[in-house]
This record gives sequence, structure tokens and C-alpha cells, in this order.
Amino acid sequence: MSEKDIISLCPKAFYPLWKRSPIVFTGYILVIFYFLFCLYYFDFSLGKILSGLSNMKPILVAMFTWNDFFNWNFNSIFTGLAQTLGMAFLGTFLATLVCIPISFVASRQIFKFGLIRFLIKRFLDFIRGVDILIWAIIYVRAFGLGPFAGLLSIFTVDVGTLGKLFSEATDNADARQIEGMQSTGASKVSVIRYGLIPQIFPIFISQSLYFFESNTRSAVILGVVGAGGIGLQLTERMKAQYWDQTLFIIILILIMVAIIDTASRIIRKNIIDE
Amino acid sequence: MNDSLLKRHITIYSEQLRSRRLWNIFIILIFAVSFFMSSSIIDFNLSQIIDGFPRLSDYIVKILPNLDINLILENSKTEGSIQYWYFNFKKYAALLYETFNMAVLATLMGFIFALILSFLSAKNITPNIYSYHLVKRILEFLRGVPEIIFAILFVWALGVGPLAGIIAITIHTTGALGKLFSEVHENADLKTCEAIRSHGGNWVSEMRYGIIPKVLPNIISYALLRFEINIRASTVIGFVGAGGIGQELYLVINFNYYEEVSAIILLIILTVITIDISSGRIRQKIIGEMGV
Amino acid sequence: MASLEINSLVKKFSETTAINDISIRILDGEMVGIIGKSGAGKSTLMRLINRLIEPTSGSIAYNGIEITSLKGKNLKQWRSKCAMIFQQFNLIDRLDVLTNVLSGTLGINFKLLKLLKIYSKKEKIEALTYLNNLDLSDKALQRVGTLSGGQQQRVAIARAMMQNPSILLADEPISSLDPKNSKVVMDDIKKINKQDGIMVICNLHSLEIAKEYCDRLIGLSDGKIVFDGHPSSLTKELAEQLYDLENE
Repeated sequence: MSEKDIISLCPKAFYPLWKRSPIVFTGYILVIFYFLFCLYYFDFSLGKILSGLSNMKPILVAMFTWNDFFNWNFNSIFTGLAQTLGMAFLGTFLATLVCIPISFVASRQIFKFGLIRFLIKRFLDFIRGVDILIWAIIYVRAFGLGPFAGLLSIFTVDVGTLGKLFSEATDNADARQIEGMQSTGASKVSVIRYGLIPQIFPIFISQSLYFFESNTRSAVILGVVGAGGIGLQLTERMKAQYWDQTLFIIILILIMVAIIDTASRIIRKNIIDE
Repeated sequence: MNDSLLKRHITIYSEQLRSRRLWNIFIILIFAVSFFMSSSIIDFNLSQIIDGFPRLSDYIVKILPNLDINLILENSKTEGSIQYWYFNFKKYAALLYETFNMAVLATLMGFIFALILSFLSAKNITPNIYSYHLVKRILEFLRGVPEIIFAILFVWALGVGPLAGIIAITIHTTGALGKLFSEVHENADLKTCEAIRSHGGNWVSEMRYGIIPKVLPNIISYALLRFEINIRASTVIGFVGAGGIGQELYLVINFNYYEEVSAIILLIILTVITIDISSGRIRQKIIGEMGV
Repeated sequence: MASLEINSLVKKFSETTAINDISIRILDGEMVGIIGKSGAGKSTLMRLINRLIEPTSGSIAYNGIEITSLKGKNLKQWRSKCAMIFQQFNLIDRLDVLTNVLSGTLGINFKLLKLLKIYSKKEKIEALTYLNNLDLSDKALQRVGTLSGGQQQRVAIARAMMQNPSILLADEPISSLDPKNSKVVMDDIKKINKQDGIMVICNLHSLEIAKEYCDRLIGLSDGKIVFDGHPSSLTKELAEQLYDLENE
């Protein structure tokens, strides 16, 4: 067979790229173009990055030269860590307490008022739409600097997220067990206590633990806007250019987060197994 | 059932009951101790809430706009109109656009770096075990440090502006996506890789043709999810001077330009929700079909 | 005449010995069937020849060139010279048939552009020719995942042919196919062997098919050669022993 015959078997395979699959091709071109445009928009040049990196050099050197290690203020550093953990724990704990009743009200199977459910859900959406750092700034304005503002911002964001997750869990609960309780003529409280709670409690606990874990991460950054904890210690040292202590605190944070991760994973696994 | 058997059952049952009760008491005790320790370390008490609450409601009332229903559509000179509230809208829009682009650029760059590194840090396809451990540790570090901490560092090095924020978010994205991608690779089936190796194809070809086509829908959908997260991150990374609308928000909060605070926060919420919804739609479409 | 010579080849995995001191000589143009029950070491032998796995000891030589010590570029060249097809086809399901066939050139002629799925016109024509020979040219731009098992295995054969191989290793090529498709695929392999004179080494589970298509059979049991000869000289007892050792 001649070349022409072969090509005529499937001429489309020999079209140039943009003719073969124009939509995909345009998609790729658009992404690449927008990427290049963004580089241009931010004046993103290699020279800038390199000169920035050369500015980083003394900082990095300072990070690794620990001279007066024994004179560091370990008291404030470890208090900061404890505050971060405390913020995360209390924030998650209080949010869990608040979200349990919210989830009953937001659950379709127990309360029949659609409007209230709708309003609660939109309110939770709004809370989640605002980043935790923005909440933190607002609370710092109202309550002053310190871990209390941090606690409240964790609490607020958690109410938004846990409230949504909890009410989804109650919505997905097995309706037969609830109907079974209702058919015995039990009161609303006993329906919730015996028909619903045994089903959803393990889910709640496991989700709360998971959020405690991720909240320790969030609690770290709240200090950046003055809401206490280890983040405050960290940013103060960065502002004062104590780079050696900065690195030390970053390492401590990584260790703390790793420990909490592992512990919470083990506990969650045990709860789900039971 | 005879008597002794019944007795034994009762003993076992009551033992189980007792151990469960002990366990519950133990857990409650732990919670109580953690609660009181946490409360004391962060000075959590009722009086603080009671004192602070009026100040909080004061502040919220102050930042809310003074809209007058009769004047709501008037021009920007009239107090009580939306235009008066959003007199700085053009500036906000420009800043929001900058924020959006920061997230786009950081996500794209982080995606590229993460993709390259993920091949090295996936146990089943890594070219050698040392690069596997090394890259894995690096990725752990990159995602372990919060982006805003990186941002503070880069503001020192590169100066105030979006560049510092972009690099900080890129670094964090690389760490987070790198881990997820390598997990996706680790679950991929290696049959096609084996075939390409049997043709004499090199490692890069193996990754390109053996892995990427299999994992692409998954990693694109992870990247879009990350984009949603990065949009949020880039709205607040400006708090430390790293560009975007956050820088302006920090400014108006500190200078007490009350109404502007709510104007900006509302815009941020709308942007975040819009992008969450549209990116969620795209993700669902992508999971369907994709040929690369 | 060119030949593949295997001498006292041994492959041990941590506990077991998969290939236990095997020596064979296969000539160019032969079609050899390797038979034996699963776990006899058939697949391991294929992978050793292609160097997908490393032998514990022994030698493999092609035309007098030692294969087991090849490295880097030479190793890749060797691999592309002995093409391989697999039981599960091992194609790129999400890509079209043509790109799959073209991916066979990644070994002999690697270019960065090929990572963007850009191949030369000459290679495309070659790929289409092979597809046409296998009656698949109308499926060229279809996604591989949408094809039937038999069609997929033939795409894999076309991909192997793109490598201009001297040897075709077929690892259980028809085990996941129905009888009708099995026949089509085996006919195609036979055609390649007869028309192009390519040496074919084929792992087969089914003795019937092996007898029908191969000029020479090699029986493997527990990593050792227990039979080597023309299919007609394989006795019924030996065949039973090959496949049913446990029933003894």
C-alpha cells in the first residue's frame, strides 16, 4: 500500500494538533497563556526571585547558628505551645457541645420546620465563608490581644463546620430506629436519646477529634494577628529577627502537630472499631 | 438454663458493665482535667465573655453599613446608599482580581512542583529509595509549616507585596499536593509501566504514559480542591503584608474604617463561595472523562 | 544463524527458586511455546529474557552478545529489540489506539516531543500500517478502554511491531480472551512469525493451542525443563505430568 492509501485510512490522525481536538487544545493554550499572563502581571522574574533568595541567605545562616541557646526564654515558648493546645481543645470542645443540639434542629427527621432548618444552614454557610484569621482579627478588636480571641475564632469556625457535618450525620441516620422509638409513643427527648444518639455519637466523637487535630494547626497561625499561642511567640521573634529561635519554634510546632496527628489517629481508629 | 450458668452470665455481664463504667469515668476525668488546664492557661472565664460581649456587638454594629432603604440606590455622595458603602469598589475589585491571580499562579506552580516531586516520593515508582525518603521528608516540612509563616519570611526577603504571598502559598501547595499525588500514584496499577519498560522506554516515559493517564482525573480534582483552599489563603495572607485583598482588610481594620471592613468581608465571602461552587462543578465534570 | 542462547540460568526469589538451571538454544524464526502449570516459572523466564528482572546467575546471549550484563542505553536497545505482549495487554486505557501503538517507539527513538504525544508522520504511517494489517485501522482514534479484549491484544501486537523487534515474547497472550478472539490473536502471532521471520516465544496455558501453533514446545516444571521438542513427541503421560503434578 502506498503512503497515500495509508493516510486515507485515517486522515484525522495526521491533522495538526489544533485541528484534531480543538477544545482540548484551546483549553491547554488558555491555561498556559493565563499562567504566563500571571507571571507578567506580578512581574515575576527570575532575577527578582534570585535576589530575594540571596536576601534569604543571611536569614538561613542565622537560623542555624544557635549561640545563646541556654538564655532563650523557654518559659514563654512552652506557655505559647500550651496555649495553642488549650485553644484548640477548648474551641473544639465547646463547639462540639453547641453543635449537638444544632444538628438535632437541623436534622430533617426530628424537626419538621423547613424554614428554621434553612436559616440555620445558611448561617453556618456564612460562618464558614469567613476565614479563621478574619474572625481572629475581629475578636482581637473586641476582646483584646491574647489566646481568648484565638479560642473564640476556633470555636466560631468549628461551629460552622461541625454544625454542617453533624447535621449531615443526623440526616443520614437510620430512620427505622427513630421510627421504632416514635411508634412506642416515646417523648421527643427519649426518641433522640435512644433512637438517634447511639447511631451518631461515634461519628460525632471521631469528627471532633479530627477537628481538634486540624485546629492545632490553625491555632498556630492565629498568633500572627495577635490571638495568642505559639504563633504569637513565633511572629514576635520573627519581627525581632531572632531567626535561631524562629527555627526552634517551627521545629517544636512540627513535632507537636505530628504527635497530635498520631494520637488522634490511634484514638479515632479505636472509636470506629468499637 | 441451670442456675450456675445463669450466675456466671450475670457475673460476666456485671463485670463488663463495671469495666465500661470505669472506662467512661476515666474518659470524663481526662476531659475534665484537660478542660480546667486549658481554661487556666488561656484565662478562659465567664467574666471575660460577659465583659467582651458588649464590645463585640458594639464592634459589629459599627462595621455594619448604614443603609437607608429609601436612599439605597442613590449615588456615592449620599450616605445610606450601597454606592456610598462601596465607594472604593474599584480598588476592591482590583485587589480581588490580584488575590484571584495569586491563588491561580500559586496553585499552578505548586501543581507543577508537586507533580514532579510526587513521582520521586511514591514508593512504587521512585527511581531510588534515597530520593524517596529525602523528598518525602521535604514535602512533610513544606506542608507542616503554615503558609502565613512562610509569608512572613518572604516578606522579609522579597519585600511587601504579592510576590511573597505567592511563593509562600506555592511552597505550602507543593507540600500538600505532593503528598496527595504520591498517594494516588501508590495506588496506581503498574502494568502499563511494565509494558513501557519492556519496550526499552525510560523512566520519564514510564511516568508520562504509564502513570499520568491513570491518575490525571484524580490529581486534577485534588488540584482544584487546593485552588479553593488557596483562594481562601490568599485573601488572608495579606495580613502580614504579602499582597492581595487581605492587606487592605488589615489596613481598614487597624485604621477603624468601620464600614469598609464589612464591605470587604462581604466581597471576600461572595468570592470564596462563588469559586467553591464553580470549582466543585468542574471537579464533578472532570471525574467523568478525560483523555491525556 | 542468529540465535538466543540461555545457559544455566537461575532466578531465586527470597524463598523460592523460580528458574532452576535452565539451558536452551532458540533459533531465529522459530515459534516456541513454553508450557507448564501456573507457577512453573514461565512468566519469570520471559521477564528474565527481556531483563525486566535480574537473573541470580547464568547467562543469556543473543547473537553472541551477553544480555545479562547490559546497562543503560544498551539495555534499553535490547529491550526494544525483544518486544513483549502481556496477559492483561498492559495498554494505556485512557489514550487512543494510535498513541498506544506509537508508544512502542519510546524505546528505540526517544524524543521530548513524544511526551506531548507528538510523533513524526513517518511513525504514524508505520503505526497505521501495522494496525491495518491487523484490521484495526478504523479504530485508530478510539480510546483503547472501549475496545474488546481481543482487539486490545492486537493493539498490543501492533505496539510490539513498532519496535521492529527480532524477538516477540508473548506472556500468556490469550489467557484473558474467549476462544474466538484467542484464535484471531494466535493467527496474528503466527503470521508475524512466518511472514517476518521473527522469533516468537510464547507462554501458553492451553496445551491444545500450543500444539496447534508452535513448532517446538518447552515444558517447564518447578523451574526446570522437563520437555523440549516437537509437539508430536510430547507423550500423553508427560503432558499430564506437566499440568497435574499434584494429582500424582
